[in-house]
Amino acid sequence: MEHRIEVDAAELSRFAPHDHPLWWGILGAVAIEAAVVANLLTSYFYLAAQAEAWPPDGVDPPALLWPTLVLFVLPLSSLTMWWAGKGSDAGRRRQLALGVTASVGLASLALVFRSIQIAEFDIRWDEHAYGSILWAVTGFHYTHVVSAIVGTAVVAVLAWRGYFTPERQLGVVVDTLYWYFVAGVFLPIYLVLYWAPRLL
Amino acid sequence: MTDATAPDGTRGRGAGGARGHGAEPEGLPDYVRGGRDGLGEAELAELERTWQSPPGFLAWFTHVNHTNIGRRFIITSLVFFALAGLLALAMRLQLAQPLNDVLGPEAYNQVMTVHGTAMMFLFAIPAMEGAAIYLAPLMVGARDMAFPRLNAFGYYVYLIGGTVFFLSLPFGLAPDAGWFNYVPLSSKEFSAGYGIDVWTTMITFIEVSALTAAVELIVTILKLRAPGMSLDRMPIFVWAVLVMSFMILFAMPSVIVASALLMMDRLVDTAFFDAALGGSPLLWQHLFWFFGHPEVYIILVPALGIVTSIVVTFTRRSVFGYAALVLAIVGIGMVSFGLWVHHMYTTGLPLMGRSFFMAASAMIAIPSGVQVYCWIATMWGARVRFATPMLFVLGFFAIFIAGGLTGVMVASVPFDRQVHDSYFVVAHFHYVLVGGSVFPLLAGLYYWFPKATGRMMSERAGRWSCGLVFVGFNLAFFPMHQLGLEGMPRRVYTYLPETGWTLLNQLATAGSAILALGFAITLANAALSLRRGAPAGDDPWDGPTLEWATTSPPLNCNFARQAVVQSGNPVWDRRRAEVSAHVGGLRTDRRETIVTTVLDARPHAVQVLPGPTPWPFVSALVASAAFLGLIFTPWAYVLGFFAAFVTFVLWFWPRRPWRED
Ligand code: HEM
Ligand SMILES: [Cu+2]
Repeated sequence: MEHRIEVDAAELSRFAPHDHPLWWGILGAVAIEAAVVANLLTSYFYLAAQAEAWPPDGVDPPALLWPTLVLFVLPLSSLTMWWAGKGSDAGRRRQLALGVTASVGLASLALVFRSIQIAEFDIRWDEHAYGSILWAVTGFHYTHVVSAIVGTAVVAVLAWRGYFTPERQLGVVVDTLYWYFVAGVFLPIYLVLYWAPRLL
Repeated sequence: MTDATAPDGTRGRGAGGARGHGAEPEGLPDYVRGGRDGLGEAELAELERTWQSPPGFLAWFTHVNHTNIGRRFIITSLVFFALAGLLALAMRLQLAQPLNDVLGPEAYNQVMTVHGTAMMFLFAIPAMEGAAIYLAPLMVGARDMAFPRLNAFGYYVYLIGGTVFFLSLPFGLAPDAGWFNYVPLSSKEFSAGYGIDVWTTMITFIEVSALTAAVELIVTILKLRAPGMSLDRMPIFVWAVLVMSFMILFAMPSVIVASALLMMDRLVDTAFFDAALGGSPLLWQHLFWFFGHPEVYIILVPALGIVTSIVVTFTRRSVFGYAALVLAIVGIGMVSFGLWVHHMYTTGLPLMGRSFFMAASAMIAIPSGVQVYCWIATMWGARVRFATPMLFVLGFFAIFIAGGLTGVMVASVPFDRQVHDSYFVVAHFHYVLVGGSVFPLLAGLYYWFPKATGRMMSERAGRWSCGLVFVGFNLAFFPMHQLGLEGMPRRVYTYLPETGWTLLNQLATAGSAILALGFAITLANAALSLRRGAPAGDDPWDGPTLEWATTSPPLNCNFARQAVVQSGNPVWDRRRAEVSAHVGGLRTDRRETIVTTVLDARPHAVQVLPGPTPWPFVSALVASAAFLGLIFTPWAYVLGFFAAFVTFVLWFWPRRPWRED
């Protein structure tokens, strides 16, 4: 048996942060989470369709002010995330560190808005299925914002310590991808939780 | 044969146990003598050290190589299979006589629920995942999977979740509302106590491991294939694994959502399934079956891959209609998401809805038929070798087709409304599940055992086992069709003598004893062959795919040099041309594997993979504690979230020296 070398891997990149298997893995995680959201929102509509009144009589749909603010703050934080990534690609460590820190700050602000709004819900989770699904979807997204924040906070710590370089920045790239998802998935949630009960 | 000409002296390389734990860290192990694939002896030895899973009990918890993890998945799932099988025997014993008292009503309900749940969630799916984790990276010519640590994490989650689930039985805390756990029976009002909570938390938890395996397999298959292995050269088994993984990705979230909602109903008094407070019990059924139907195909699809691999090898022909087979598998995967309502024909759905799902259910017969024809065409006129793997495949054909026929019957609304919740259904789903998963798995066990251990299993014992399993199975389950038609309901712990069901039940019980004997023979065969089996060599069956291009058991690094492939049957090509093409330039002092493009597998990067680490185990422990806590208090959610987060940070925290190249 003769053995030939037909592909030489010595010169291939060991980093490739934008096309790394881990990037694909995070995409897989995002697909799973998206499927969970789809299930929750479908359940919302299923319960709504079975109910005589949705929300039940005497219950107001949640107020629009705070969630609408969140709707703007989260994309803004994605913008700072994107800016941080640009800095990282170009090797500007300061821009990266500032960007991710700003994102963490903005998302924390969004959490504050979310918390105020939850405190104002007109119904508890154990009073009616409407309350249950409202709280469940809200809690689900809340948890995701929290995990995006704590994850990115770790990235921020590493960034301030100068760990990342244009090659060694896989952590930034995949964290950003997850961040976009958490920010983006709020749109369907927003439309369903805050507009559907008003329009249906 | 490759190894006849190559100076690698790999024949009869030690038996299973020792290898993979890499017995000798210092001296040169035998099998690296003379090097391999053109890689020199010293370099191969270093490569093997780099990829070694350290020996020792504590080190066991740090292993990440896919061969170790895949093997553990398979063995653990077989243990659960045996336990759930013993429960089945207990039920059959109870049903052997009318008004028998082996199991009381409460015990029967628990045993039946644990049997069904364990067979589905702890045996069938993890066994397929284990086979996929073990084989898919070898078949695509990768050195390991894309996320080895995640792989280990998934295994511990499965091990701990499954063990807790089973332990609930001796502690009398077992769930008892059937494997689909319908509300309102499973609501707090009708099922107080912790049994149902064990079901909801542990099922959710175990699904986490299915999901990690799925992501892992998808990325490995799409990104780590050997150069040249474009999608249309991928072995059918790998296609099947890919489809299975995507199905897991989209089906499991439903059952996770369903059980999370039920958990909340029971724990914090939400009202998702409480009709009095605007909830809907039917929502449970929709969510459960949106997962539950694809689940059956999640089990079946990789089994189809196993069957195809074996048919190809034992006919020594490329598969007939490769494109048609791939399309059929993908088609089955997609159509299976549109069928769930056929489990709910008796819930008072609108007529239009029922008709739609009846048509859709009949449609799945089309891709299934295409497959059967492709296999027949592959075997047509070939000189088929009837070794044990092939015998189990033939058993699969017979039993699975019978189950498919009753499937088409129950897919039709009027017939289903007649036999719903009767023993006819029990017969039907055991025909598809045992036919569609156990037979292919046993076939696969006989086929790949030599690869995984370096030893052959006994053919004679294999034939006996296959014969007994086939006869025992049909004796156990065929009479159940008739019992169902005579009106015996499923999930009853006993029946009256006047019903006239005694004889058929006794036949079924006798059959299950024969069946158990058949399984026991294979178990003993595997255990004995581990030490005494004839040495297998690299490629005992003359197989076409890349797992046969390495030693048996596979090297720590899988391949001394990764292959470059030119067709769908690289090992046959090699032998014919007397030339093998390889990747060069990978380092031997750290774990590297080549990354290629998704469609045509052009090399474009190298992934550096992590070595042994205890963190996945620690993370899994913390996550298990959190899930267990959820049985008792909602605060476990908050605590568990942060505790798990800390372990993940420790897991991913970059360790010096940081990589510079
Ligand atoms: C190998 C020998 C097996 C025997 C003798 C056996 C026997 C039984 C029996 C007696 C029942 C209870 C029927 C009832 O009371 O309604 C049952 C239920 C069930 N079995 Fe098996 N079984 C076997 C294998 C399997 C396998 C391999 C699977 C799946 C992969 C499986 C899945 C189930 C399920 C899902 C149920 C329904 C549980 C429920 O009603 O909730 N069984 N089996
Ligand atoms: Cu189905």
